[in-house]
Amino acid sequence: MEGENMTLFEASKEKEYEIKNLLVEEAVTRRLQALGLNDGVRVRVLNRKKKGALIIKVRGTRLALGKHLSANIEVEEVQPCPV
Amino acid sequence: MSGIKVACVGNPNCGKTTLFNALTGAKLKVANWPGVTVEKVEGATSYEGQEITLVDTPGIYSLTCYTIEEKVTRKCVMDDDIDVILNVVDASSLERNLYLTLQLLELGKPVVLALNMMDIVKERGMEIDLHRLPEMLGDIPVVPVSAAKRTGLGVLLHAILHHYEEQKNAEYILEYPEYIEEKIAKLEVMMQAHYPDHSSRRWHAIKLLEDDEEVREEHPISVTNVVDRSYEKEIISCKYDYIEKVVKEALFYQHNKTPVTEKIDSYLTNEWLGLPLFLCIMGVVFFLTFAVGDFLKGYFEVFLGLVTNTVSEGLTTLHVSKVLTSLIVDGIITGVGGILTFLPNIFILFLALAILEDSGYMARVAYVMDSIMGHVGLSGKAFLPMILGFGCTVPALMATRALETERDRRKTMLITPFMSCSARLPIYVIFSQMFFDKKYAGLVAFSFYVIGMVVAVITAFVMNKLEKGRENDSLLIELPEYKRPNARTVFIYVWKKIKDYLTKAGTTIFIASICIWFILNFGVTGMVENPADSFGAAIGKGLVPLLKPAGLGMWQIAVALISGISAKEIVVSSFAVLFGVANANSTDGMAAILANVHAQNPAFGPLNAYCLMLFCLLYVPCVAAIATMYKESGSLKYTLKVLIFEILVAWILTTCTFQIGSLFL
Repeated sequence: MEGENMTLFEASKEKEYEIKNLLVEEAVTRRLQALGLNDGVRVRVLNRKKKGALIIKVRGTRLALGKHLSANIEVEEVQPCPV
Repeated sequence: MSGIKVACVGNPNCGKTTLFNALTGAKLKVANWPGVTVEKVEGATSYEGQEITLVDTPGIYSLTCYTIEEKVTRKCVMDDDIDVILNVVDASSLERNLYLTLQLLELGKPVVLALNMMDIVKERGMEIDLHRLPEMLGDIPVVPVSAAKRTGLGVLLHAILHHYEEQKNAEYILEYPEYIEEKIAKLEVMMQAHYPDHSSRRWHAIKLLEDDEEVREEHPISVTNVVDRSYEKEIISCKYDYIEKVVKEALFYQHNKTPVTEKIDSYLTNEWLGLPLFLCIMGVVFFLTFAVGDFLKGYFEVFLGLVTNTVSEGLTTLHVSKVLTSLIVDGIITGVGGILTFLPNIFILFLALAILEDSGYMARVAYVMDSIMGHVGLSGKAFLPMILGFGCTVPALMATRALETERDRRKTMLITPFMSCSARLPIYVIFSQMFFDKKYAGLVAFSFYVIGMVVAVITAFVMNKLEKGRENDSLLIELPEYKRPNARTVFIYVWKKIKDYLTKAGTTIFIASICIWFILNFGVTGMVENPADSFGAAIGKGLVPLLKPAGLGMWQIAVALISGISAKEIVVSSFAVLFGVANANSTDGMAAILANVHAQNPAFGPLNAYCLMLFCLLYVPCVAAIATMYKESGSLKYTLKVLIFEILVAWILTTCTFQIGSLFL
């Protein structure tokens, strides 16, 4: 089941996703959670480099995430919220 | 009644230091990127006769410990005799900021909330319900302020005092599900039994339930019958669920406008444009530094010439002894005065850096540079200290604290000195103008900034290969809102740097100039006429064989390089003192030095000059930077290794340049 999920690293610009699972070490998980990235939260990809870092908007703030992080965050695409 | 102690706590870049400065009149550095403050600082203020000690702390996202700064802040909040916690909150990103607030409330100490950046909230058309928000946060005082515009400060101080006098501790507004609350209650009882006078029992109980390492180690009581696993995940989602409720009830029109920031970012962090734009911006910074700086320099020169003549004539009329006249004119004015003429260049450089730092662009640089830094095993965040290194290596080394691991820190500290600091600028200005055509002088000087960066990156690359590509830490940085640089902030930043520079000229460079004057004018026989008989010559001559392959085989250069370790500008001062030129940074001064150099060594040409500048770029940083490196790494062995490595790199690269260059020229 785990292998089938897409990661944030494969996410596309301007789409919205829901965080499903953080597959990083404990200290980093804590850090991400403190920054508002806990399971179930919605994020929007603002900008990204093809093979590298990306910028997401989560809980009203912008975060830049490196490849190693985004490749270990499982997400699911969701329809954008009507504003 | 004695004063009370208040800690400013909040997320990085939410304006704690700006508020601290506004309240205490301090002039601490402020900029618009997360992680500017790395140490806690105390200041004092008073309100209605009550003394208030304020403590500014590095920004944190949570009370768990991840980076060094977070440990500093958590320790300060937990251990120190803090009476009131002043939680500074960026009102424009309330949702994320409240996560820390909920944790602070659980501590059970009095908390006052300062809603900072209310102007941005208004600008974006958002509204905050100032009645509902405190209600949902356990009736703590919530005060809207603007630290930058200095509004709401009196109300804030009043709220702090009043809240303290009431001694009303925060209520526990957040209730966890029953099965967690039961465990918390049990743990609280256990805490009470073992540590009867412990404050914030509930917070400790929750941390034990989250399996927090530090709290567990500090309280070695057996809790395994209650804590069968870590309940961290549930506790965190409870907090966020509650915050979502707060935001829903107290924050309106959140999605009204697309922030301007996102429009700017579509260019500056664009996949293809990002890097070229960054290089252009840095190019403009250095162009301004050299071009505008040189333009202003002319006025300084006239003034300095006037001073030299007046003093020199004055001393002659007063029949002051020859030794003293020589000390004042050849030693002090020559050594210190020459350095002062670079003030315009330094001013422009720091002005540009201050504007860059305060605009919010710095965090974007970390993103833009992440791919390149990734190839050398560092995250883009490691590039921030490197940019600060263009200003001064000392704060740059301290900024490495924001990096997550000790390994990354040491690696970044190793390569940061290769970034050409402002003290090395006078060396480039003088020697590039002296030996190169006016048209190319600027380009020659600029080349050292590029070489420094390249050497730094290659060093990190080799280190990474030696470590066999261990998993590197990934970039994780918040990108703040862009804003127009604040005039006060920029002024404080630049003024401090200028003051540092003048202080350095008055102390380190002053003393070093006297020392250089002494070792060059005295020998075993007393005061000598010919510097070649001086102590300095004796020392320098010993090093000539080593420097010869690098094209630097003159004892004067050896003396200049050694004295340059005390501060890099002194390389220029020593040349001035060596050749008795009052203002090395003037056309006449340069011509005099050039004539003198050629009298000593006719073969000394542009290639040698280039090698000299290259060596100055790469060899050991100044004493202040070395001391900082030792303090920051806490290891003498590491510091010595770095120094030896840097001298070797400098010697090898300079020698190669000279030997290869000699084949063609």
